[in-house]
This record gives sequence, structure tokens and C-alpha cells, in this order.
Amino acid sequence: MRRETQNVLLVLLGGAVLKIALNGQYLRYVKPGLQPWLIAAGVATVLLAVVGIARDIQAASARANGVPAAGGDDHGHAHSSRSPWLLLLPVLAIFLVAPPALGADKVSRSGDRTAVGAAPSDSSFKQLPDEDAPLLSIGDAVTRAVWDSSGTLDGRQIRLVGFVVRKPGGGIDLARLVISCCAADAAPVKVRLEGDGLDGFESDTWLQVRGEVLARTATEENGYVPTFRVTSLTEMPAPADPYES
Amino acid sequence: MDAAPGAPATGAVRDQAGTGRRAAPRAPRRRTSGQRRITSLEVFCFVIALALIFSGPLSRLLDRPGLRTGSTVFVAVCVQALPFLVLGVVLSGLIAAFVPPSLMRRLLPRSPSAAVPVAGLAGVALPGCECASVPVSRRLMQQGVPPAAALTFLLAAPAVNPVVLTATAVAFPAEPRMVLARFLGSFGTAVAMGWLWARFGRLEWIAERARRVAESRGGESRWRVFSETARHDLVEAAGFLVLGALTSAVLNVLVPAAVLDTLSGQIVVAVLVMAVLAVVLALCSEADAFVAASLSTMPLLARLVFLVVGPAIDVKLYALQAGTFGRRFAMRFAPATFVVAIGCAVLAGVLVLGGVR
Repeated sequence: MRRETQNVLLVLLGGAVLKIALNGQYLRYVKPGLQPWLIAAGVATVLLAVVGIARDIQAASARANGVPAAGGDDHGHAHSSRSPWLLLLPVLAIFLVAPPALGADKVSRSGDRTAVGAAPSDSSFKQLPDEDAPLLSIGDAVTRAVWDSSGTLDGRQIRLVGFVVRKPGGGIDLARLVISCCAADAAPVKVRLEGDGLDGFESDTWLQVRGEVLARTATEENGYVPTFRVTSLTEMPAPADPYES
Repeated sequence: MDAAPGAPATGAVRDQAGTGRRAAPRAPRRRTSGQRRITSLEVFCFVIALALIFSGPLSRLLDRPGLRTGSTVFVAVCVQALPFLVLGVVLSGLIAAFVPPSLMRRLLPRSPSAAVPVAGLAGVALPGCECASVPVSRRLMQQGVPPAAALTFLLAAPAVNPVVLTATAVAFPAEPRMVLARFLGSFGTAVAMGWLWARFGRLEWIAERARRVAESRGGESRWRVFSETARHDLVEAAGFLVLGALTSAVLNVLVPAAVLDTLSGQIVVAVLVMAVLAVVLALCSEADAFVAASLSTMPLLARLVFLVVGPAIDVKLYALQAGTFGRRFAMRFAPATFVVAIGCAVLAGVLVLGGVR
């Protein structure tokens, strides 16, 4: 591949990374903490290419003036490697397709189990905040449902936010994906919803539900997915950061 | 390759190499085609134009649940790895520009077998994941570091650095010994592979472009060397990173998670499954501890194998190694690493974790 083409590809690649880092789309793929790194990497990529282009132009004008160029002329037709063509794939994917955040499809591919966080080392959970229906992450609710023997969830109304996953055999789950680095390591956390008025929702619809986790419903047989009895629910837009950490 | 119209391209390159000027390292030319007039820039514009024209149908084509998930994972792996790759090529450029080969030779013990453990410990200092270590280790090789030591660095850096070990400690709060076991397993793998290479490795397996030792760079500005080296390494390595991300995305969608649950009962099967899983998932070494922790039905030893094998060899690394050091190298080095890593992980697990659990 020509050096000019390589430089153009690098500008596009750096630009693509900068674009998603600045407009918030990066949250579909990685964790919020990576943003400064993405900006730095995008800027560095663009800079390297721009410096390369500037040198080429300099060398070309020096050659045109009959001055033997100081080493900028020997790169123009030097590469037989075809691997840089592959850089087109992420560039086109980001600019043209912009793949959405993972959702119900990933959850159904991950089997029937829910991911369960580790129990705190002294196995005592903090009491829930003393308010009406505090908002918990699904991961937190599942971990408490599985490990907590002191009953911090018992009889408490809580709120959860997640998307709907319709199961092939009937039944409806509310799920989130937990990522620890990027979307490739996403693991689902979920609760099984029970209650009225759930039938109308398609998979991937985001809901905020209010209700309670039924005690001792997270068992080994059902993949530790606790049952959540819904008392009320509202449909909502997907949050900016669709993942739990 | 793009030949200058009418000019015998290989001859031109030989002339330039003969001047002794140190330019960014180049891939050897595989063939010449003096007649070809279409340049890559034109092909590139054509592809972009096509993609823009057909962007609607293209998006609809990808609008199926499985493909959508796959494309998200693909972009995620690329986006996640790019900052580390950039860090790696910047380091590589800095080494090329500011660290003279003579300094490297003075710092490392003279005999390769003594240099190997030193290189392994040096890996502690590079807080990146595996994408950063590939360009850096090639640069070390070009700066006159013995290949055995450079390869040890390649395997050690992503696995034993403080960031990765801290992540492991956070992911396994109930099993603090996991950190020590991981350190020993990965360090052992790196040193064992370095010694194996020193004993059995042949220089000609490594592509010529990767072992061309840097010549003196008289007259060239150091910043110029830096930016040219970094730019070149980025273009080369990023392409292979994309290939690895693609493989990982396909496997991520196709390998059913249910397979795991049924296999967790038998320790030998579990170890092998986790080793293979580490290879096909191609996770970043800073994240794999959390994934291993979440696979809570697996025996601890099998999860340790996952943590030791993953940073040493996976599909993304294989693509990067093949691109950087040549396919002949990667075909031999990668399977050997896989076997040695499993062995070292099991050994470390039995010693530190106290047997199979």
C-alpha cells in the first residue's frame, strides 16, 4: 500500500476514534474510564499521519526544486504489505454502521445463568438506603439475592433499570450487561419479571421497574436468576452508559 | 505494492538500502509488477465511494441480531486495544530514536540465557496489555537485544505488570494467592519460552524485516526517526489487530456459553477448555481476571490457566505476531507458547493454590 493511502487511513482511523470518544458513542463499546485514552490515541494517530503527510509534501517540493530531498523521498513506493487495508473495516463500521450497544441478543447467547458478583469478604451487605424504593443496579440486586443471608432485600421495594429479554419458551427477563473492559467480555445479569402488564414489551425495550425480589428464588436450578415481582413500571430511553460495571 | 510506472521497483529499493540511510523498516517485496498502474490510493477512493453509496443496504445487511452483536464486539475490541497499541508504537518509536543499540547491549547480560530472566523482569515496567508489547519487543530485537530476551519480554510484559496484577487482586478478593500464582505462571512461561528459543530457536524463522538490526542513523533528526518508526509500526500492527478483533468477534458470537457449564466438572477437560477459551476470546489482559472471576463454576486451577494462557497467546496476538515477525515464526512460537503456558500455569497452581480445586 502506498504511503499516501496509509496516511489517509490513519487520519480516518484516528478521526473515527475521536468521533466516538467525543460524542459519547464509545460507551457502547468500552468503559467510561477509557475516554481520555481514546482521545489521546486518536490525536496521536492523526498527528503521526499528518506529520508523515507534511514530510512527503516537503520532500516533493524539495525534489521539484532540484534539491536532493533529505530522506523523505524513499518511502513513496516501498510497502508490499497488504494488512493496512484491514483498517478500512473499523473505519467503515464506525462511520457508516455505528454498531449499537449489546442487548437482548447477547443475553440470550450467554445461556440461562446470570453472572453473580462475589460476596463481600465478611459476608455482610450494607443496608439499603433508607428511602422509598431505592434504585439498585441489577448486578447488586442479584448478588444480594444469591449471597445475602441477613435479608437486606426482604420485603423492600426497590427500583431496577434494564432492558427486556423475551425468552423463547415464554417468560420475560429484565437484564443488563456487565463489562469489565470492553463489550467483548460482557456478561449478563438478570432477574425474571413477574406481574401484570408485561406482555406488550418487545426485547430490548428499556424499563424502569419497581417491586421486590422474592426471597430464595435464586437457585442453582434456575441459574441463580431471582424472581422480581413488579408493582409498577415505566418505559424509558436507553441510558447513555448501557452497561453496568 | 505500488511500482513507480515503468521503473523496476525492486532495483529502486535496493539502491536506497545501499545508501545506509536508516528509514523506517520495510517489508521485503514479494513480487514485482511493473505494469500495474492503479495505485492503492485510487483503489481506496473507489472502496470509500462504494461504501458511501451503498451505506444504506450495508447497514440493513448488518441489521440482524447475531451480526449486530458480532459487529459491536468487533468495534469494541478494536476501540479497546487501539490506545494500548498506540502506547506501544510510541514507546517503540522512542526506543528507536533515543536508545542507542549499544546501551541495550551494555544493560543486558551478554549470554542470552542470562538475559532472559532480566528481560522478564523488565516486563513489569510496561503497564499495557499485549497489543503494546508486540511492537516494543520487535523494536528491542532491532536494537540488538537477543531474540530470546526480546521474546521473553513480549510474553512477560502483558502478564506480570502492576496494572494486571492489581486487576487480578480486585477480581479475586477471596483468593489473594491467585495474584502470586498468576505472576509465577506467567513469568515462568515467559522465561521458559525465552530459554527454549535460546536453545532451539532459529533466526531465519523470524521475518527478515523484523530482525534487520538498526544501522547508525547519522544525519537524521531523532524526531524524524521517532515519528517515522511509530507511524510505520502503527500502520502495520493495527491491520493485524483488526484481523484479530474480527476472529474474536466471530468466535464470541459462535461459541455457545452453555458448553462451559457442562464441562466444568472434570478438571482435565476444564483446564483444556479454559485454555482454548483464553485463545479464542482474545481478551485484554487487564480485563481477563474479571471474566475468569465471573466463570465461577470453573475450578480455580482452570481459571488460573485461563489467566496465564490469555496474555501469552490468543487469536489477536497470533495475528499480530504473524504480521510482525512473520508467519513462519508465529506457526512455531504460538503452539509452543500454548503448551508451555498450560504447563507453567498448572505447576504454579499446584504449588501456590495447593492442588486442584
